[in-house]
Amino acid sequence: MAERPPQQNQPEDSAAETREETREDKRQKFQDLRNLLLAPEQKEIQSLRNRMDDRAARAEDLSAVVAESIELRREHGGGADLNKALMPSVEEALRESVRKDPSVLAAALFPVMGPAIRKSIAESIRSMLESFNQTMEHSLSAQGIRWRLESLRTGRPFSEVVLLHSLVYRVEQVFLIHKATSLLLAHCVAPHVSTKDPSLVSGMLSAIQSYVRDSFKAPKEDSLDSIQVGELEVWVVSGPQAILAAVIRGHAPASYRATLEKTIEDIHRDFGQALEEFDGDSAPFAAAEPLLENCLESHYEPKEATKRRPYVAVVAVAALVLAAVALWMSVNNNRKWNHFMVALQREPGIVVTSSGMEGGHHLVRLLHDPLAKDPAVVRHDEGLDAEFVDFKLEPYYSLDDEIVEKRAIEVLVPPGEVSCKVKDGVLTATGRAPSDWVHKLKDRAALVPGVKKVDATGLESSEASETQMLASELKSTVFTFPIGVAQVDADQEGKFASAAQVINSLIAKTSPLSQPLMVEVIGHTDTSGTEGLNMSLSQQRAEYVTRKLVDAGVARRNLNPHGVGTSEPVRNHDAAGDESVERSVTLRLVPAKPNRVE
Amino acid sequence: MLQKKICMLGATAVGKTSLVRRFVESIYSDEYHTSVGVKIDRKPVRVKEKDLVMVLWDIYGADEFQSLRMDYLNGMFGYLLVADGTRKSTINDALTIQESVAKDFAKMPFVFLLNKADLKDEWEAGADLEQNLTARGWTVMHSSAKTGEAVEEAFHTLGGKMLR
Repeated sequence: MAERPPQQNQPEDSAAETREETREDKRQKFQDLRNLLLAPEQKEIQSLRNRMDDRAARAEDLSAVVAESIELRREHGGGADLNKALMPSVEEALRESVRKDPSVLAAALFPVMGPAIRKSIAESIRSMLESFNQTMEHSLSAQGIRWRLESLRTGRPFSEVVLLHSLVYRVEQVFLIHKATSLLLAHCVAPHVSTKDPSLVSGMLSAIQSYVRDSFKAPKEDSLDSIQVGELEVWVVSGPQAILAAVIRGHAPASYRATLEKTIEDIHRDFGQALEEFDGDSAPFAAAEPLLENCLESHYEPKEATKRRPYVAVVAVAALVLAAVALWMSVNNNRKWNHFMVALQREPGIVVTSSGMEGGHHLVRLLHDPLAKDPAVVRHDEGLDAEFVDFKLEPYYSLDDEIVEKRAIEVLVPPGEVSCKVKDGVLTATGRAPSDWVHKLKDRAALVPGVKKVDATGLESSEASETQMLASELKSTVFTFPIGVAQVDADQEGKFASAAQVINSLIAKTSPLSQPLMVEVIGHTDTSGTEGLNMSLSQQRAEYVTRKLVDAGVARRNLNPHGVGTSEPVRNHDAAGDESVERSVTLRLVPAKPNRVE
Repeated sequence: MLQKKICMLGATAVGKTSLVRRFVESIYSDEYHTSVGVKIDRKPVRVKEKDLVMVLWDIYGADEFQSLRMDYLNGMFGYLLVADGTRKSTINDALTIQESVAKDFAKMPFVFLLNKADLKDEWEAGADLEQNLTARGWTVMHSSAKTGEAVEEAFHTLGGKMLR
C-alpha cells in the first residue's frame, strides 16, 4: 500500500536545491529500500502489537495454554509454590461460594461425604465389634475368669485387663524434653492411661540420665537409651537440643526406635529456632504434639480362630447340660409343688387362702390353727427347699374334729385313764376319772371352741370302782370252822385283821352324808346234824366272827351277824368246793337301807 | 506455659527439703534423695503478673562440695542457696558452693537463705557476715521452714530475679 516504486530520474535546479534534494532523495530512497525489504515483517509486528494491546485477544490466547502450563510447572517440581500461590484464591473462592449459595458446594461434595461418613462409621463399628468379640472370647475361657479376678483385685476395668494381656506393646506416653534445661516441651498420652505430672517425670528422667552418666563415668554426649521397669520400658532418643522419651508397655520392635529418631529429627527441623531460644516457655511446642501422637503406637496379639473352638464347644455342652438340669428341676419342682399343695390342703387346721409367685419364689397365704401342723414341716416332708416356698400365716380356730379334740385335751387335761374323742363336735369321754374332774367336765368342755356337746356316759368315777373292788374282796373272804365248833382254827386268826381293814376302808369311802355302811356276817353249817342245831351253830359262828372283827377295830354298828344254817349254801359260789366250805362264816356288803339298820 | 528450673543448694540438713515441702505439695516420696540424689517438685506461682511454673530440683546436700553432681544444675534459671543459721560450718559450705557454681553459671540469679530463723537465739551467723554478703550484692533472707517465715517470699524473690 505504502509501496512506491523507486524514482529513476530527478530534475537538477540549483546547487543548494540539488543538495537538499539529494538528502531528501536519499532518505526517500532508504525508505523505499526499507519498505521494499521489510514491509512484510513490519506488517507482522504491527499486527502482533495490536494483538498484545487487545486484552480479549490475549485472554483467548492464554486460555489455550493455561492448563498445560500449570501441568508443566508441577512436573518441574514447582508444585509447592503453585499451591501457595493458588491457595488464598481457592480458599477465598470457596468461602465466597459457600457464602453465596452453600447448596452448590454441598451438592458437589455430597457424593464424597456420604461414602466418607459411611466409611468412618463402619470403621468405628468394626473396632467396637472387635473389642466386643475379644471381650466375649476372653470372658468365657479359664484365662478370662482369671483375668476377671485380676480386674476385681486391681480395680481396673475388665476390658483394660484383657487389652493388657493380649498386648504385644503399647506406647503409653511420649515426652519431648528440652535437653539443656530438662524442662518438658510437649507431652502426649494414650487414651485410658493414668499419668503423674509429666513435667516432673521429665525432670526425673533427665536426673536419672545425669545420675547414670555420672555414676558410670560415661562421656557427656552419651545418653541412656532405654530404662526397663517390669512391663514398662522407656526408650530415649536424643537430638542436639531435645530428647524424645517414649514409655512403652510390652516389647516394641526395634523398628520403633527408627520412628522415634525420625520424629526427633523432624522436630529439630521444624522447631530448630524455638529450641535454640527456649527460655522456659513451652507454648511454641504445642504444635509438635501431632508429631508425638504419631508415636503412640500399639499392637495387640492377632486373634487365633482355631483356639476359640474348644471353648465354644465346652460352652455349648455346658449350656445344654445347664438347660437339661434346669428343665428337670423345673419339672421336678412342679411335681413336688403339686404334691405339697395337696398335702397342705389335706392337713387339718390349715386352710390355703391363696398362692402365687412373689419376690422370685412361691408364697402361700393360709389360715393356721395354732394346734395344726407347721406348714414348714409339710414343706420338708414333701422335699421342698425353704427358698422355694414361703408362708404367710393368719391364725384362726379350726372346727376340724381332730383339732377340736387336741384343743379339748389341752384345755381339759384328762387323767391318764380317760380317753377323749371328738366326732361331729361331740366330745365323748370314756374311762375312769376322779369324780371331781367328772363333775366339772361338762362346764369346762363347753368353753372349748368347737365342742358342741359332751357325752360322759362312758365315764365312771374312780372312787366308786375302788369300793367295788373292796366289796368283792370282802365277798371272797371266808372263815372256815372245824365240824360242830363255833371257833376257828389258829391258822384262820390272821384273816380277821385283813377283813377288818377292808371293812374300815369301805366305811371311810362312804360319804358322811349317806347311811352308814352295813356288812352282813353270815354263819353257815354243813348239812349234817339237825336243822335246829345247825341254825344255832351258824348263829354262834356269825357272832364269833363279829366279835373277832370288833376286836380287830371294826365298829359293831356296821356289822350284822346272823346264822342261816344250811339255807344259803356257800357252795353255790364255789361249785367245786367240798362240804368243809359250808362250815364257815362269809361277809356281804349290803347297801345301807334304813330298815336294815339296827 | 512458662517453666523455670530452680535448684536448691546447700549443705546437708540445712532444711532444703523442709523448705520445699513447706512450699509445695509433693507427689514423690523423699526416698528419691537417697537413691538418685535429687527430688523434683513443681509449683505454679504468679510473679510479675506472669504465670510461672517452678520446677524445683531439691539436690541432696553435700558437705564435701565435690560430691555435688554439677550435672543436676544444667539448665537452671536460678537457685536458692541455703545454710543453717545455727551452724557456721554450713555457711562456709554455702560460700564454697556459691564459688563453684559461679564458675560455671556466671550471673545466675540466686537468693541466700539463712534457715532456722525460729532458733535465732542459737545463731552463729553474725550481722557482720550478712552485711559483708549484702555488700557483695547477695540477697540474704532469714527463713524458717518450721514457722513458714519468708518461705513463699524467698521463692517469689528468686522468681522476680529470674524474670528481670
